[in-house]
Amino acid sequence: MMDATRESTNFDPAVNEQTLRGHASRLVESAHAAGAEEAEAYCVRGQMVAVRFEKGDLKLTTVDEGATLGLRAFRERRTGFASSNQEGEAALERMAGDAAGLARFSPPDDANVLPAPRPAEPGPGIHESLLGLSIGEAVEHGRQLVARTVAIDPRLSLDQASLNLSLFSSAVASSTGTAASSSDASVSMSVFGMAIDGDDVGGFDYWGDLARDRADLEARSAACSERFARAALGNLGAGKAETYRGPVLFAPAAFQDVFISPLVSAASAIAVQRGRSALAGKLGESVAAEALEIVDDPGDRRLYGACAFDREGIATGRYPIVEAGVLRGYLYNAYAAAVEGIPSTGHGRGGPRSVPGLGAHALCVAPGSGGDARALANTLGRGLVVQRFSGTVDPASGDFSGVAKSARWVEPGSDERPVRETLFSGNAFELLGRILALSSESEVVMGGARVPWALIDGVSVTAG
Amino acid sequence: MPTASDPTDLLAEALDADGGAFVELRYHAKRSRSLAVEKGRVDQAKVAEHTGVGVRVLEQGTWGFASTDHLEVDAVRRSIEAARQAASASAAARSVRIEALPPTQLARGRFDEPGYEELEATPIEERLDLVLRVEDQARGSSGKIQSATCVYSEIFEEKGIVTSDGAKAWTRLVRPEFRMSAVAQEGSEIQRGARSVGATGAWDCLFARASAEEMALEAAQMAVDLLSAEYPEGGRRKVLLSPAIVGLLTHEAIGHTVEADFVAAGSCAAGKLGQRVASELVTLVDSGESAHSPGAGGRIAVDDEGVPAGRCVIIRNGILESYLHDRESAAAFGVVPTGNARAWEYDDEPLIRMRNTHIEPGESSFEELVARIDDGLILDGPRNGQADANGEFMFGTLQAWPVRGGKRGPLLRGVNISGIAFDVLKTVDGVGREFLWDLGAGHCGKGQPAKVDAGGPWLSCEVIVGGRTQ
Repeated sequence: MMDATRESTNFDPAVNEQTLRGHASRLVESAHAAGAEEAEAYCVRGQMVAVRFEKGDLKLTTVDEGATLGLRAFRERRTGFASSNQEGEAALERMAGDAAGLARFSPPDDANVLPAPRPAEPGPGIHESLLGLSIGEAVEHGRQLVARTVAIDPRLSLDQASLNLSLFSSAVASSTGTAASSSDASVSMSVFGMAIDGDDVGGFDYWGDLARDRADLEARSAACSERFARAALGNLGAGKAETYRGPVLFAPAAFQDVFISPLVSAASAIAVQRGRSALAGKLGESVAAEALEIVDDPGDRRLYGACAFDREGIATGRYPIVEAGVLRGYLYNAYAAAVEGIPSTGHGRGGPRSVPGLGAHALCVAPGSGGDARALANTLGRGLVVQRFSGTVDPASGDFSGVAKSARWVEPGSDERPVRETLFSGNAFELLGRILALSSESEVVMGGARVPWALIDGVSVTAG
Repeated sequence: MPTASDPTDLLAEALDADGGAFVELRYHAKRSRSLAVEKGRVDQAKVAEHTGVGVRVLEQGTWGFASTDHLEVDAVRRSIEAARQAASASAAARSVRIEALPPTQLARGRFDEPGYEELEATPIEERLDLVLRVEDQARGSSGKIQSATCVYSEIFEEKGIVTSDGAKAWTRLVRPEFRMSAVAQEGSEIQRGARSVGATGAWDCLFARASAEEMALEAAQMAVDLLSAEYPEGGRRKVLLSPAIVGLLTHEAIGHTVEADFVAAGSCAAGKLGQRVASELVTLVDSGESAHSPGAGGRIAVDDEGVPAGRCVIIRNGILESYLHDRESAAAFGVVPTGNARAWEYDDEPLIRMRNTHIEPGESSFEELVARIDDGLILDGPRNGQADANGEFMFGTLQAWPVRGGKRGPLLRGVNISGIAFDVLKTVDGVGREFLWDLGAGHCGKGQPAKVDAGGPWLSCEVIVGGRTQ
């Protein structure tokens, strides 16, 4: 148990990794003893300090530590999985029995194999400065985040804010010889709320970011406050938009949710293999306007998903997905790769509580040459600016429909004004070919991806 | 692992030696089994457990929380101390200190929901056989079906809640869930159909309305039918919402705005108690019980603060009557707690969450409601939903049908609908008499997941429809 009064946490990455490597090896051995022919264990252990604020006041401080172990067993090309947060001998044995037992019942599948080892280069490692952050200091950083935000304007009402110090280690081991471990430390922060001016309750907005170095903490926190305040205040006095079909300017968060995420999901090799991807058969073909470049860059430490190896212990690396609008690569984990008899691209994803999934780690969309957001709004001339998207995108068809949140209306000669009750719809895969311009800089969206602003034609806008 | 004996005895023992301020101990054993099959391949066959004790302490007017994965007296006592220290370390940052929680009715005893033993005794291979079979049936039902996915899960939960002011409750329940989706393709056109259901209880609740096989075939047929469906016309429209969409409306658009933490932060429901916020045809309730139909997916007998999870009337005949509270917010508002404090796992702190939220049924038949529509849409098949603090909501639907002159037309593609929640409720001019819980699959998200349910009757009202034909 973490001691709340200590000067700093008692997290020791080397000790944790050693313990987890031991658990992983023990689980693989136990799975073999329970009848599995192959097995893979993924184990995580961590500590967390979470400071949560409500209505601008401190609500709760949580100190926590614990482990989660996941075990995948293979038997005659059948697979079973078990996970537990219990580290005792009996729990490990039970997991091995459960995973190997489940593997008896599943139908065989030739792609149920473990990947050949592909060791990762040692990563940059944990930033020692965050190990020294005490619980009291975490509380103080959280308090400053809140105080700084509400000091920007008295009309701001913070519903929730949080600051989380996360320290964790992970290890993978398998019967094919994969063995990898690493540790990470980060502080994530978020603010969520709205602006209220008399009877005018603006639409809510939120923002968040991540720091892996204590020296960055202050700057990230200040930027987070400023970004939230600008959006929330801008939502006051919202009026009506106009119904039209044509160009819409998407802020990075909206561009990512409506267009980039569905495109990358469709680049999943499993989606392609199983007939639910619009990108099937389009490798090497144009899938978007020439301006679009998307790369998965797990080496980008500004992003949450930065990692040296994937969920299956395979080394990760920079991976182009779309270049000049042309689809360059599908994403493969070990299973999808085995279906086609090729190596994994290192895109196993997920935690120890489920079998490895498939996805990108740290998406980076290259900026264009359209200038800044204001320049793109000038290019738009008259129309809708969407900052956030609240809606659905069908991953198979690409059809999207939803509400434009923190939306603005621009027209020549007038200041932009907030609008609400505005829906927009279209097809993401079609409209990616109608990108008119991308901003000249990308922004880090909630610590998860680097994405520019995008001006896209052909969107249906319905004003309420 | 679930305990063989009452876990509250051990928690009470751990609490015995404590002479400090308010302490809340919650043992929570969660064991799940889940199966996922796509195109005949088993993507997931897993069992998982996540078990431990969450400890919340009110010290110096400030909350502290810690947890342990050991159900042992010494480990729980160490967590109490850690939570106390966390509260002390952060007390200086809290400007408004919490007074001691006022006394309230607290649960004592055992509160088991039916179905736990029945599902626990069923071998997982029987479940896998079902999932493989119905996925295969859906995929084989049409040459246009490219892919089908079937997911089945069961969450077994056992909780022991002990507080220093008298709660001592032991609960067990199981929540099964079945989800089916199918992807159909014709040329470059791809469409998806889906059906899902979630319940609290055994399979008599889960498959009360339709069997797994029927739901699988319905999902496949929906995908095929949507291939040739047109997009509806957008704009402000008269609509007839299915019980599932009514569930989304009650949960997302109303329910979240009346959670007392959102109210205190300035949601659109703040200051509106006693005011008309809906048509007089609307009575809206959140309850730990399963009104009108058994097996609602958010059923709980006791909340995670040890408060009995009773029935809370939020809107009565159009008048806003109550918010949803935990013990702290109830004290701040000067009312009794409504039993809405819920935590997802042992290492999560309780938050104000809904349980089963619904609109009370009215008197009209479905046919009567359709006949009254001159120009509008029938909407069914919930996809997702979100709502803003100002009551602006967005729901996705899978299917729509035009209604002209009281006659239902051919299937259209699903749409997203939006509006301001209380404004929409004021437009309600018809409430059906058939009732359905239809939102028990999936989770509500509010920092942590929560299993909830929502539903109601068919509801006639006006919303903004996002169409594609401008």
